[in-house]
Amino acid sequence: MNPILLDTQVQIYLLSEAILYLLMIPAFLISLKIIPKWDFGSFSQEQYALEREAYLVMTILIFAFVMKFLLLPYFVFAIDNLNTLVPGAMCAAGVISANSYGMPLLFVKLFLVFALILWMAVNHYDLEAKNYPWFKIKMWIFIAIFIVASVELWLDFSYFLDIDPTRPVSCCSALFGQLEGANPLPFGLDIEKLLILFYLSWSLIVFAHYTGQTLAKLLATLLFVYISYYAVVYFFGTYVYELPTHKCPFCMMQKEYHYAGYLIWATLFGGSFGTMAASICKIFLKVDTGKMESLSFAMLNLFTLTVSLYPLVYRLQNGVWL
Amino acid sequence: MGNRTFAYFLALSLFGEKGRHISTVLLSILIVFLLSSVLFISSSLHSVIENALREEPDLVVQRVEAGRLVNLPLKWEEEILSIRGVSKVTPRIWGRYFTGVKGKSFLVIAVDFLDENSHKTLEKLIGETELKTFLDGRHMIVGYAVMEWMKSHFYKEYYNFIGRDGEIKKMKISKVLPKEDNALFADTIIMGIESAREIFGISEDEATDLILDIPNDAERDFIADKISSLHYDIRTISKKESRAAYDRMFNFKGGFFLSLFCVVLLAFVLILYQRYSQVYSREKRQIGIFRALGWSMGDVLKLKFLETLSVVTGSYIIGVSIAYIYVYILGAPLLKNIFMGNGNLDMELILPPVLDFSALSSIFLLYALPFIAAVLIPVWRISVSDPKEAML
Repeated sequence: MNPILLDTQVQIYLLSEAILYLLMIPAFLISLKIIPKWDFGSFSQEQYALEREAYLVMTILIFAFVMKFLLLPYFVFAIDNLNTLVPGAMCAAGVISANSYGMPLLFVKLFLVFALILWMAVNHYDLEAKNYPWFKIKMWIFIAIFIVASVELWLDFSYFLDIDPTRPVSCCSALFGQLEGANPLPFGLDIEKLLILFYLSWSLIVFAHYTGQTLAKLLATLLFVYISYYAVVYFFGTYVYELPTHKCPFCMMQKEYHYAGYLIWATLFGGSFGTMAASICKIFLKVDTGKMESLSFAMLNLFTLTVSLYPLVYRLQNGVWL
Repeated sequence: MGNRTFAYFLALSLFGEKGRHISTVLLSILIVFLLSSVLFISSSLHSVIENALREEPDLVVQRVEAGRLVNLPLKWEEEILSIRGVSKVTPRIWGRYFTGVKGKSFLVIAVDFLDENSHKTLEKLIGETELKTFLDGRHMIVGYAVMEWMKSHFYKEYYNFIGRDGEIKKMKISKVLPKEDNALFADTIIMGIESAREIFGISEDEATDLILDIPNDAERDFIADKISSLHYDIRTISKKESRAAYDRMFNFKGGFFLSLFCVVLLAFVLILYQRYSQVYSREKRQIGIFRALGWSMGDVLKLKFLETLSVVTGSYIIGVSIAYIYVYILGAPLLKNIFMGNGNLDMELILPPVLDFSALSSIFLLYALPFIAAVLIPVWRISVSDPKEAML
């Protein structure tokens, strides 16, 4: 028997994902039925029945989505704990690269989180408008989400079933650190230029936020997520670990670093996905997204503050940069 | 609708009609209690072993013959010490002493007092600073389970070991390790290295195994490979491997429990579905009145959902609290034997309280998610029922 599948957290994770998917199947079938027939202006018995069923779809989705948000950190936590069972792995980085399903699974998960935030936002504004003006858009987004979720479920099971507990994997320092002189950063950047770009894109977001330039904000946020990932892994992370050679996006989620990674990544992805979803809603639905925007803006600022504080505190305590 | 009114209605429907929820709550508490007890015991045992493993040597070198452990020659010590990166090699003598042909067994660990460091970790583990004073000459320190066994066999002050050559070696008991200190030492006897050699019949130029200090943990795997290539009958065990072995053992027991628990969970889910599907006429009328008063479908749905959520969270908190008391304060009678499974000496395990995120979130996911998933459709069906239909 595969010891990976006997791990309590893996079992619970797979069971939860399967239940959520099972629950989403009726929602998917109902939305397929609703989309062609939906006509809010009609007073027919049929439309009334459709509205009742739409409530079911909405209830299932909100529940499934809240659970999916909770399952993401649980998933990271579970694979982080697997590092004792997979030879060579020191943290989740090694475990996730144990086979070729791991990285795509993580990307699909992040994409799903973004899609879910977008759906939640559209749903919120749709309900607020009383006459459901964006009902069909919402349903189409859900259908896309369902397809991605199917892929995710398949990847989930393929990934965990395929981890070989006897085959050694690389640890994070081999995956991110020693690249034998090759530059891992995009566009041929070095660390200084990366940091300049990081703070520049952040300033751009701040500027766009206060001047109400929605499109600029959307683009700046896209750039910011991309740059932030590299900045955290290759610069800020080294201050979290207080070791210039330790470059890993996963180790910071361990107990030794006070689970700082959960805060850093949650604020980064929460804030930027929120900003992007709000901007999309504002551009295409023309609704007032003030509340959601300020919330995501606050999260992005919290992220920038947190990662900036690590090097500063280190400098104050030790008198040198790493 | 104002939030206060809403909260008032919620409280009314929860506490005003206690009878309606009581059976669900009781059943839920039972499920959460069972689940959390097992997970608490498991995570507590895990922390005990984790603590013990922290003091484990970086690398253990053994000699095997047809896959069995045999004594190794002490001249290996020099060979291994000459490998770069190994800062220290210490020979160990240990083994199981059987009281009769099919009797009970004690774990005998020998301490070499010529070597300062070999007993430092042991001192730290059992919390005794002056081991030497208890172990000079023919004296030994015993674990409490060993002491109990000896007492019941009328050895109150000493024990007669029978060596391999058939001679009787009398060892006096100088100290009993207290129960609370370290559960893993319950069946252990600690004695001087000379006495252990005599009892086990291990000659002066042999040892049971060697333990290595390798300060740089990045070098451990490489050094293990190098050592393996020294002789054909060498086996190395690293700290990480022994940890993985323990993890596997725990996952094996915990995993089987969970797989079986899924059956219980399925029954629970079916009961819940059944229960929430039965719409009581009174409830139907209530919803009809709400709708007639101008509540929307969404409002009724919200009320019903918060009602369910309160039941779920309430039973979760109560169940986890009862499990906490049962496991950590009462010491989990009956249930902990699943994990112990030791047919040797009667050991009493003290479970140190561990309340970690992993156990709590696992319990929540395993209980709340199937619960809500099961009642979601019935709750929706009640909430959207037609007011006209409901009033009939």
